[in-house]
Amino acid sequence: MKSNYGKILKDGIWSNNPIFVQVLGICSTLAVTNNVKNTLIMAAGVTFATGLGSLTLSAIKDLIPRKVRMIIQVLVLSFYVILVDIVLRAYLPAVSKQLGPYVGLIITNCILMGRAEAFAAANPPIASLVDGVANGLGYGIVLTAIAVIREFLGFGSIFGMRIAGAWFTPWTIMIMAPSAFFLVALALWGAKSYTARAEARRKAAGAVRSR
Amino acid sequence: MKKDSIAYVVCFTFAACALFVLPLALANEATRPRVDANRRFAAESAVLRAFGIAYENPEDAARRYAALVRELPDGGWSATVDGAAYRALRKTGAGLWGSITLIVAADDGAERLRGVEILEQQETPGLGGRIEEAWFKDQFRGERIGPAGISINQEGSGSGDADRENSRVDAVTGASRTSDFVEAIVNAAIADLRSGGAR
Amino acid sequence: MPESPLINPLVLFFASILTSNILLSNFLGTCSFIAISKDWKSSFGLGLAVTLVIGLCAAISWAVLYLVIIPLRIEYLSFVIFIIVIAAVVQVLEMVIDRFSPSLYLSLGIFLPLITVNCAVLGAVLFMQIRKYSLIQSVAFGFGSGAGWWLAIMLLAAIRKRIENNPVPAGLKGTGITLITIGFMAMAFIGFSGMIAVQ
Repeated sequence: MKSNYGKILKDGIWSNNPIFVQVLGICSTLAVTNNVKNTLIMAAGVTFATGLGSLTLSAIKDLIPRKVRMIIQVLVLSFYVILVDIVLRAYLPAVSKQLGPYVGLIITNCILMGRAEAFAAANPPIASLVDGVANGLGYGIVLTAIAVIREFLGFGSIFGMRIAGAWFTPWTIMIMAPSAFFLVALALWGAKSYTARAEARRKAAGAVRSR
Repeated sequence: MKKDSIAYVVCFTFAACALFVLPLALANEATRPRVDANRRFAAESAVLRAFGIAYENPEDAARRYAALVRELPDGGWSATVDGAAYRALRKTGAGLWGSITLIVAADDGAERLRGVEILEQQETPGLGGRIEEAWFKDQFRGERIGPAGISINQEGSGSGDADRENSRVDAVTGASRTSDFVEAIVNAAIADLRSGGAR
Repeated sequence: MPESPLINPLVLFFASILTSNILLSNFLGTCSFIAISKDWKSSFGLGLAVTLVIGLCAAISWAVLYLVIIPLRIEYLSFVIFIIVIAAVVQVLEMVIDRFSPSLYLSLGIFLPLITVNCAVLGAVLFMQIRKYSLIQSVAFGFGSGAGWWLAIMLLAAIRKRIENNPVPAGLKGTGITLITIGFMAMAFIGFSGMIAVQ
């Protein structure tokens, strides 16, 4: 059973990464990736909501009538997102103000509904929790990497701390929207090429062995 | 009760709503004093920063605000810092996407700005939103107010104008519209201060 | 009622189509955008549906916000209430279209349920709330955002049709090259920002 959770974790973070493989959920978070701190907080929010949302929905899946399944799913997921919003408002007011509408938009992040439908609806609660967290992490890691590149090249800083010297001319394009699309595409390209090469190597090794 | 019967669906939906909304209501009530305190701190600390009064933490800010800043009947503020009298007022104007609200502080004769602070803005994050960065706001500190007020230099270096006598500050690169709106609001505030606002 | 920003609704309408396209600069509605833009005809249908839904939802959510949510002080529930409004609008629209234009229903029908979870709709509604738009501004912003999304998906569908016949590195095929195309579109749309003076 233990190895099973390991596999779910690996699936969410790498082999079935929500961004590389499923291309889901970039809507709500891509907009804040010009700042590493905001990205980390958003990714944490998504992980929290996906994990606990999947757990809850999996636990009550036998009780939900078919007719209202969708609306109950939205209700449960919104519950966790609103909790995140309340906590941010009370304890991190500056971040809450900067993120603006994007916290609420976690509700419509396709990963949440996607995992609820694709995994939690047919699996036990703990496995669903692991799956949700893994997907949140897989998503967060990619977006944080993008945010590090964007904040460094766009502001010369990381976590708001200036790293590059005075010689550094910030790339304004990195702060603006297009760069996020380019970086996601590049990350996708890298991941796909790597997977394709690993696959080819495995096939070649298999061919040698079978001969 | 059958799972797809109307009664079950209705009961389940209501129960689920109650079950999930109740904790949210409690959490919201529990954090309300904190949220209100955050809001008050945001407003008071902005006034303090506009006056150039340093503070260490939220409690310190509340203490200094109570001790040093006087709220005026017209909604403005006055304060005496290091022996000199300053006046400030709040000014709202249109931004690119929503209103921008600034607090503009100047000396008593409205000859030099004391400081400009941003209370609220909805500009594009990473572009117009950069008016909240320290280098941009610090340019206003001690700037001489010219006959036509303050002008924003769109051709500037984009990293701040250090000359305090030229009545000019650098715009945020890539956010020329937002910089124009800030210029207009600052000058409207200066006009108010000159015509005896915040007294 | 709060003080809404002094922005001309007509300007807001055009600005939300061109200069700050909800998809190209706010990244909202990207998921269905990438999936559907493979096909020109579906793109047209989905774009039309999104425009209608955002426009209607902006108006209804505005009324719900100022007549229900704020008087009852349940702002913390606004996310879930907006989602319910959106789901209801989509449902009603589906029934109305089915009733009055079966042919339109056939071409639009399958897209309507997709829209409930389209981030662009909730995004536009939340922006309306945060920026404190008036009813007219909300409607202008809603229809503008929808039209902007529609324009973007039609352009992308056309471009993707051309790309199909071009050699693309294996790893970039499909989503990768589409994202790069969207990036270039976003850059092109930034060029509009000098054209429209939002005043």
